[in-house]
Amino acid sequence: MKYWHIILIRAAILALVLGAWELAPRWGLVNPMLLPPLSDVLVTLQIQLARPTVQEAILITALEVIVAFIIAVPIGAAAGVAIAEFPYAGAIFKPMLFYVFSIPKSIFLPMFILIFGIGFQQKVAYAAFTTAFVVLMSATAAVESVKSDYILVARSFGATPLQILRRVYVPSMMPVLLETLRISMIFNFTGVMIAEMYASRTGIGHLISNWGENFQMPQLFAGVIMLSVVAIAFNETVRYLEARCSTWRT
Amino acid sequence: MQYVADLNAAKTTGAAIEIDRVSHVYAGPEGGVPALSNVSMKVGAGRFIVIVGPSGCGKTSLLMMMAGLRDHTEGRIDVHGAPMPKPDPERVGVIFQEASLFPWLTTFDNIEFPLSLRGMSKDERRRKSQPMLQLVGLTGFGERYPHELSGGMKQRVSIARGLVQDPPVLLMDEPFAALDEQTRMTMGHELLRIWETTNKTVVFITHSLTEAVYLADEVYVMSPRPGRMIDHIMVDLPRPRTYEMMATDTFGRMRDRIWQQIRKSH
Amino acid sequence: MRRPDPKIVRWGILIALLVAWEVVPLTGLLPELFLPRLSKTLNVLWIDLDKYWNALLVTLYEVVLAMVIACGFGILAGTTIGGIAVLRDLLLPVFSSLYAIPIVILYPIFTAWFGIGSESKIMFAGIYGFFPVMLSTAAGIRTIDPQFLLAARSMGATVFQQITKVIIPASLPTVFGGLRIGGALAIIGVVVAEMLTASAGIGYLVTLNRTILDSPRVFAGILCILVLSVAYDIIARRLERRMVVWQSAGRRQQQTSPRPVSQGAPAPAAA
Repeated sequence: MKYWHIILIRAAILALVLGAWELAPRWGLVNPMLLPPLSDVLVTLQIQLARPTVQEAILITALEVIVAFIIAVPIGAAAGVAIAEFPYAGAIFKPMLFYVFSIPKSIFLPMFILIFGIGFQQKVAYAAFTTAFVVLMSATAAVESVKSDYILVARSFGATPLQILRRVYVPSMMPVLLETLRISMIFNFTGVMIAEMYASRTGIGHLISNWGENFQMPQLFAGVIMLSVVAIAFNETVRYLEARCSTWRT
Repeated sequence: MQYVADLNAAKTTGAAIEIDRVSHVYAGPEGGVPALSNVSMKVGAGRFIVIVGPSGCGKTSLLMMMAGLRDHTEGRIDVHGAPMPKPDPERVGVIFQEASLFPWLTTFDNIEFPLSLRGMSKDERRRKSQPMLQLVGLTGFGERYPHELSGGMKQRVSIARGLVQDPPVLLMDEPFAALDEQTRMTMGHELLRIWETTNKTVVFITHSLTEAVYLADEVYVMSPRPGRMIDHIMVDLPRPRTYEMMATDTFGRMRDRIWQQIRKSH
Repeated sequence: MRRPDPKIVRWGILIALLVAWEVVPLTGLLPELFLPRLSKTLNVLWIDLDKYWNALLVTLYEVVLAMVIACGFGILAGTTIGGIAVLRDLLLPVFSSLYAIPIVILYPIFTAWFGIGSESKIMFAGIYGFFPVMLSTAAGIRTIDPQFLLAARSMGATVFQQITKVIIPASLPTVFGGLRIGGALAIIGVVVAEMLTASAGIGYLVTLNRTILDSPRVFAGILCILVLSVAYDIIARRLERRMVVWQSAGRRQQQTSPRPVSQGAPAPAAA
């Protein structure tokens, strides 16, 4: 199949889904109270985006996402590199991390609320907490993905540890690093959303949760569309960069 | 026509495989790609045939056609008097380059795999696989999984699997290519021993000229794509073959002739 | 000096954590509102054992049904998409893109559609677990060595035999990995959903006691979920290892290193 064929068929599928969303409620195939037609949702989205409360909520959510990310990445990365570089630490902690992984982090939300209240700090702290684990795991994998052969070659040519870091680790980890950041950001975003939906007075997650409780379906769907578009746009941008960075890696 | 003369001289005690003017064209994205061009050969029953040729000359394709695993556009391929429109393990056993043992099966279960496809009972299967295991020198390894075996051992299992249904013809596609040089020599020697005790017709593909001359009764040389037969050499070294023969002039001359043919064809 | 066995160190850390849980609130470093003593937590758990047991049964019921949905549809969709080249090229990248959406934002829609009872949790957690199962099944089918199929055909295997004797066993390790992660996500999905909007289940108990600031009962709920998810992980891993015995040697190394996040491989959950 040619490339543009794939694009064309995907566009057709998208059009079909969106068309069904518009027409099924209009024709009474589904209850428009439960699934408002797409056009109604889009109109609602436009109205909502113009409201100052919504704009403020977006700003706060964005800020929480960014701050949490900035806190989580260095902590997670440092721990991850330590586990990858010190075999003894790895032998101790790696098996534990598997269990940590399968635990729903959200059960710790009440602790964060008890300690930080339900403000900005609590959301940032919880999101950073969940994200740090993901960064840690990915960073370990990223460091371990550097072939020891390369390091051996570099050392045989007399490279200093700093040179090995700059000339071997960084370039050969580049594509994995971007992937790490991308996946961490997805989880970071999820973390902020859960925290906001669970207990909050502001933020997009809080609005979505409210709209759901008050059965304001057009607003709810508008919020879901907006967040999905942002998440997908971010994801695709980084994936595009990943693809460009990894052309030499076949 | 040296090639035709050699072909007539072949001691054909009754052909196990007859390939008559086979050509094949692949459907590529920009039209047909000719892969094989007018290939003919006649393999006598019980003979050990080796096909050599540069990479991509279509020798593997030819082998897959003999095995009934691939179609050809023109010509005729008969194995024991009948064409091979689909694989027939009663007539032909195939041994692949990577041992291609199923990692989820033990040695016994791997060898018995073709029998289990026929719904044979477990006892009967074991009765047939046990002597095969012994034949390839792996007695006691029946319950091991492939990841517990060395590369050479895996190929032995693969040979046992190819022999278990006692097909008269064995097709081998560079079976020892992934092995190191020493194991490869040992395996070649082992294969000759197995061949001599079982009286199979073997068609063997390789890149190694030494291996070709050491193993073969007859060597066929193929040209680069589209593959044609450009030479046919009768290896008249006595059997059983010994490692010392490799140092002889006759051996060297034959290896040299094959090398010249391959080089010229480029 | 010889370093102690990592396994012993791990047990040491676990015991130290439990001891700290008991001692730190006693010393007053953390108020008991933030961290009630372990003994107090266990005590309320014992007093309310019936309540927690019933809540756990509700949660388990939802988790099992969510797993059935996630695994059933995940394997079905993964086989279809992984097995048919056209669908694979067309849809796999789309699913990878959709994976970026924080699924939790869909939960209010589910409660609006299915109510705040078990149905909304089952559906939500089912979707939560669906993606990794689907993606790893597709990967498992796609990465089967074509040599295996060629060898099976050369031995006269029919199409049906190729599926049952080659494709299914060859894809089992990847599929099992996906099932394990999918199951873990189903637990996470149910717990998150119960915490957000519910009228029953462990997650609901945690939230209920949080709003009335009854910390020991919050931590009792947390303890239940910790035990549930760790127990699930141990059982799932053991089952996986038993089912794919033939892989155990090759994977022993992988098991000690975290699953690398790469090429559309299902990433684990942060929730």
